[in-house]
Amino acid sequence: MNTSIYSWLSIILRRDLLIAFRKSSTYITPLIFFLIVITFFPLALGPQESLLSSLAPGVIWIAALLASLLAIETIFSEDFRDGTLDDFFVSLEPSFILVFTKVLIHWLITGLPILLASLIAGIILYLPVDSFMPMVLSLILGTSFMSLLGALGAALSLGRSAILSAIIVLPFSIPTLLMGTSVISSSLSNQDFTGFLMIMGAMLAIGIPVLCLLTVEALLLNYE
Amino acid sequence: MNKSWNKLKRWFIEMGSPPLFYRWSSKIIPWLGLFALIFLSLGFYWGIFVAPMDYKQGDVYRIIYIHVPSAILSESIFIFMAICGFINVIWRAKISGMMLKSAASIGISFTLLVLVTGSVWGKPTWGTWWVWDARLTSTLILFFIYAALIGLHSTIEDKTRADRAVSILAIVGVAIIPVIKKSVDWWQTLHQPSTFTITSSPSMSPDMYLPLLVCLIGFYLFFAYMLTLNLRNEVIERESSKNWVKQAIDLESK
Repeated sequence: MNTSIYSWLSIILRRDLLIAFRKSSTYITPLIFFLIVITFFPLALGPQESLLSSLAPGVIWIAALLASLLAIETIFSEDFRDGTLDDFFVSLEPSFILVFTKVLIHWLITGLPILLASLIAGIILYLPVDSFMPMVLSLILGTSFMSLLGALGAALSLGRSAILSAIIVLPFSIPTLLMGTSVISSSLSNQDFTGFLMIMGAMLAIGIPVLCLLTVEALLLNYE
Repeated sequence: MNKSWNKLKRWFIEMGSPPLFYRWSSKIIPWLGLFALIFLSLGFYWGIFVAPMDYKQGDVYRIIYIHVPSAILSESIFIFMAICGFINVIWRAKISGMMLKSAASIGISFTLLVLVTGSVWGKPTWGTWWVWDARLTSTLILFFIYAALIGLHSTIEDKTRADRAVSILAIVGVAIIPVIKKSVDWWQTLHQPSTFTITSSPSMSPDMYLPLLVCLIGFYLFFAYMLTLNLRNEVIERESSKNWVKQAIDLESK
């Protein structure tokens, strides 16, 4: 009965990924949403290449933030409704692992597709090829932090309106937005962008323990 | 040493019990109100009629006596709320959750006041209502965070649970606000939009900042006064089914 943390992690990971892949809408929706939002900017602002490539960092980041918020509700709500979450809390000793795995899964089904779609977005917004690498790096760090924040927002607004969790999470995502766009626009103007990446990495490193623990606390509020 | 420490701890916990708090707060409320009134009227009179005119801005600068104290309060109330949230999450002290909730509405009012007085001040001096300056932007974000806290509290029916949820969010908020400030700073230096800054005001002469100090103390007292009033309302509302509330109200109506 002495299951280790890693086997718990792989059990939850396998189960949730299986559920996600059975229902293709979970990972397709953020992807399509991201691309639709990206397409709207050239339509609204005009197709000039110079304008679009200078706006690309902001456009890609705004679309990425909104798309990763789209799937926040799915992090805990299904498991909460059918009682799986109760089961996990009863049987799983460090509930931290549960939250961490859930965040990981959310990133795998929203962050990763967005990451792939951002390459397409970069091409259609005329982003120079040299800026693709910083864009991908900043998106990896930024969308992971967004998944962490999203889990907290989802836990706090569990069983309530979806828009509430967006309002809770969005103000807190501003540093990510600023850092992420700074990374891409510094690379556009041939400046050093590693400093911004390091800060994003630091935020992620602090965020994983702190936000996961606070999310556990927020989830436990529903079991009093 | 240990004994007196325990005594102090017990006294502190007892002061926080709703009936006891209700009783002792009724005694300090008139004093808080009186001192707030004295300090505020002294500060405003001094600032508006006695303090010298600014050689560059004229009389317009006198809005500083509202603007700066409320800016300081909007941030220190948030820190106060985060401390309350910390106590609430760790020790489950009910009164600290109520305190957090009562402070939030005062905090958002002060933040709104900063934004409004700031743009009223900005129009004659900079020629525009709004600039994407680092400080203005981070104050706006602070306003959104306050709104998120209040919005979250109002959607959860069970009040003690709502308090705890908001406490968690306030802790995250107080950790992330310095990050926001710093990142807005960098963002601004990267874009370099505006040539004017608020920080460039010359070091003030004492006859200008002394009234400011008096106003600041007045604002803090006013906050304490409003907080106590709000908190008493909150206590009465939450404990309305308890016996002591009925007795207290009977006693007051006599």
